[in-house]
Amino acid sequence: MFFRILKKDIKRKKTMNFILLLFVIICSMFTSASLNNISAVTSGIEKYFSMAGVSKYIVDIGMRDIADDIRAMPEVTDAKEQTLYCVLGPRYFTFKGKAMNNFINPAMVGTDKEMPIKLYDTDNEVVEDVEEGWFYATAPFSADMEFKEGDSFTLKVGNTVLELRYKGRIKNAVFGNDEQSAPFLVFDYRDYKKLSLEKRSHSYMERLLYVNASDDSGLKELSKKYDDVSYSSREEFKSNYIYDLLVAYIMMAVSAVLMGTAFVVLRFTIRFTISEEFREIGVMKAVGIDNSGIRRLYITKYLGIAVIGAVIGFLASIPLTDTMLKTVSGNMVLESDNSLVLGFTSSVIVVFVIVAFCYFCTRRIKKLSAIDAVRSGQTGERFKKRSVLHLGRSKLPSTFFFALNDIFSAPKQFSIITIVFTCCMLLMTTMSNFALTLKSEKIYPLFGVNPADVHIADTSAYAEILDDFGKYNEVIEDVEKRLKDKGMDSKCSITFGAPYNTSHKNKMEKLFYIVTKGNNDFVPECDEGSAPQKNDEIMLTGKAMKALGVKIGDKIKVEMGDSIVQFWVTGKFSTFFANGMAARVHSGFDLATKRNLGTMGMQVTFKDDPDMDTINDRVDKIKQMLNTDKVYNTEEMIKFATSMSDTMNALKYMMMLITIVLTVMLIVLMERSFISKEKSEIALMKAVGIPDMSIIFQHSLRFIIVAVLAGIISSIVLMPISNSIMIWVVNQIGDISSLECDRDALDVFVICPAILLGAAAIGSFLTALYTKTIRSSDTASIE
Amino acid sequence: MNTVLQAKGLCKTYIVNKRQNNVLKNIDLSVDEGEMVAVMGPSGSGKSTLLYCVSGMDRSTAGDIFFDSKDISKLNDKQLARLRLDDMGFIFQQMYMMKNLSVLDNIILPSVKSKKNHLSRSQSVEKGRELMRKLGIEEIGDNDINEVSGGQLQRACICRSMINSPKMIFADEPTGSLNRSSSDEVMNELLKLNSGGTTVMCVTHDPKVAAKCSRILYLVDGSIVGEKQLGHYDENKSSIRDRERELNNWLLEQGW
Repeated sequence: MFFRILKKDIKRKKTMNFILLLFVIICSMFTSASLNNISAVTSGIEKYFSMAGVSKYIVDIGMRDIADDIRAMPEVTDAKEQTLYCVLGPRYFTFKGKAMNNFINPAMVGTDKEMPIKLYDTDNEVVEDVEEGWFYATAPFSADMEFKEGDSFTLKVGNTVLELRYKGRIKNAVFGNDEQSAPFLVFDYRDYKKLSLEKRSHSYMERLLYVNASDDSGLKELSKKYDDVSYSSREEFKSNYIYDLLVAYIMMAVSAVLMGTAFVVLRFTIRFTISEEFREIGVMKAVGIDNSGIRRLYITKYLGIAVIGAVIGFLASIPLTDTMLKTVSGNMVLESDNSLVLGFTSSVIVVFVIVAFCYFCTRRIKKLSAIDAVRSGQTGERFKKRSVLHLGRSKLPSTFFFALNDIFSAPKQFSIITIVFTCCMLLMTTMSNFALTLKSEKIYPLFGVNPADVHIADTSAYAEILDDFGKYNEVIEDVEKRLKDKGMDSKCSITFGAPYNTSHKNKMEKLFYIVTKGNNDFVPECDEGSAPQKNDEIMLTGKAMKALGVKIGDKIKVEMGDSIVQFWVTGKFSTFFANGMAARVHSGFDLATKRNLGTMGMQVTFKDDPDMDTINDRVDKIKQMLNTDKVYNTEEMIKFATSMSDTMNALKYMMMLITIVLTVMLIVLMERSFISKEKSEIALMKAVGIPDMSIIFQHSLRFIIVAVLAGIISSIVLMPISNSIMIWVVNQIGDISSLECDRDALDVFVICPAILLGAAAIGSFLTALYTKTIRSSDTASIE
Repeated sequence: MNTVLQAKGLCKTYIVNKRQNNVLKNIDLSVDEGEMVAVMGPSGSGKSTLLYCVSGMDRSTAGDIFFDSKDISKLNDKQLARLRLDDMGFIFQQMYMMKNLSVLDNIILPSVKSKKNHLSRSQSVEKGRELMRKLGIEEIGDNDINEVSGGQLQRACICRSMINSPKMIFADEPTGSLNRSSSDEVMNELLKLNSGGTTVMCVTHDPKVAAKCSRILYLVDGSIVGEKQLGHYDENKSSIRDRERELNNWLLEQGW
């Protein structure tokens, strides 16, 4: 009998059961995808490095024959060698008959016979070998250009000419992926051999040793001994992924919101569908079925729906997870650990939550008498005022009145829809804010770069620094002189940095030291205290201060080469560098380093304070003077340096798409549930002669009003929420005390609300057309 | 006397699981202005279906239906809705009302939607209150529908059916879910309306209710098999008991 009732119920209430099943699928799909995203992002870069096999230290041994010495060190467990042929710029490559000019650093060429770490293609498959005459390249190679598989290139270095075809993009964990990084190319070993025989007038060789060791004591000694030998730890290479991680963490925040939204909707639907069952519960109680039997019946039904929905949702989540991760991981391999286990776990969670919801929603069965249940859960004695507005006293048009009155009469139900719509709206608007903020001027100082009129990003324009960073002074003076000769009197500066062990009392941490060198009067931004005014003063990030147990006014000791330098801590600052473990010294202080750890280009500030048009004219002049295109005004430089506007825009558009899909699905399912629940009222309205369109508009208007309300609420909370999420996101990467998001008023107050409103209006209108199938004569057959 | 409603060769067929079920078979009927017609018959004889077909709430399979000289079988859904709103009133066995509206708002709902009398919102309210006063339920106007008794609610439904001064009221078992005293009250109100000139067509199982009608149609298996003229009921002129006796005798002849 039990299963016969169940079978009949599933068959008879197939619409509501199907709607519930769809919600379970959506919830399961988003939960599974979100958990996988969160897992992928949190393990993120570390997992990618482990998958790729990046060693603990990477040693640049130049052309010295010391590989075996390193291998012989007691702390070294293994060391793999890689010899790179470095082509000194893009102009040696010809594409479609023109010399290339799109990347700024030397192109590093490696061979498929010598790959100490795993390289991945865009489908995250490991690249094992390269066919002769073909090559793979990292993203910087195709900066500003679109290459497709099979495109032909000519590489001419000295007398060696290679005709090569582009196979596709690869991801190299060690070499950077932003436009400022050096491109990395992989050739077939035969092509590589031809190239490596060429004399070095237009190139240089670089030998890297990928070393796993228990500590870096031996390597430290070696780098002291040889000027041209340096090493970096695996941690330092992670800073190449600051922007990728920024986007990934935003994706993670979005996933959490999506998951929350799905559960809110699911709870609402279960409560809604169970309230529909009360009459039958009453009948069962009346004929003597006990409470546990009735609850078992419904729990079995919901368990069945939950299991089917969770399985389908899990399967549907696989492509969704993949799409979401691919959107944010163009430059790295983001994969979830045990995605199947996580997917299965999330499906079990969804099933458990549904059964728990069902258990708690059916709790009332015990308390209700049979007749209370027949009255749809209302006890006879207690009445709750439903009608809040009065048609007779209202001046509103009747259709609008009915829609508004429905909302006020079921505040809980429509509040939940409003909350869900607000979340959907915030998904779009916060994404718009993030996209705008991450390419705004306010993000640039967080990389330690001073404001300037013009930025020279092409390091080949001042290539001496590549060999010896100590020559920065000569380089700056040379550029300033050349600019002055062209009538552009200016002050130039370069920001760079290096890691040093820092101690305070008994605590020691490795901090990344930043300094801006040059002739301008740049004073870095300071969150607390004051910026360093003298060579023995220093600012630390909050994270570094906490790790060392330091306060403003304390003294710290820093191991710089052979000497110990002491600094007074004068202030606190924010930066993305080194995961927020950073320090900034006075511009007069010379960091003891010869290693090129990369710069954000050379900053030029004109002495005559020119207007924007003049700056743009001068940008063109400097391009000619230095024979490079990589000279930018500030706005262009941010776009170039962050090089993530495309990813952020892709994410923004994906959020818009998800929002539209989510909103429309939500509306279709909710409206369909409402129609099912309000069938008697719809039939009654038709019986008294209210036209179909009036009923359809009433139903559509309810969602439109809620969408407008959600638009207003989201506009009010947008900035605090954007700022909070942004602060959380940037602090996952660096140490940022405060960062206020920018907003594009047109985007967040017009376009995004219009999208939500449009989705609400169209979705609800089309679904409400279903009310046409209810006839006035159905009043006679309504239960 | 003008004919308000006329049906010629009215048929209604449902097809369930490929089986044809002829609910109404070639029915001819006419209802004159000011009549109060009861439709009786055993369960499943097609009484409610007849009511819904002739009132335009449901489409007939064949035949012509004229309401106020308009062939409603040729009207589209929008025109039918307008006709029901302006010229017809409906009362159901269950006191169907909009849950989210107060009793008064439910009553004035058709008036607010109708353009027939061009009433302003306040005039509709005034008319609604006037009808409630006449039916003795003026004090429940601002109440929710779950705060009043079944009899009060059914009288409110009558008020709603009257708000646009319809030419005819269709009632499907209007006293079916009421106790005897509420049932009498509701029938008295319908009688009052009828004596005021409103035509009423009412489906009922209850001979006591039917005894107050001027004419009774008896339906068996989708066909009108008998018709009884009782004349207008006037409590001052005839005894209700005599009418009930006469009707019961006739019903027994019909196989009731």
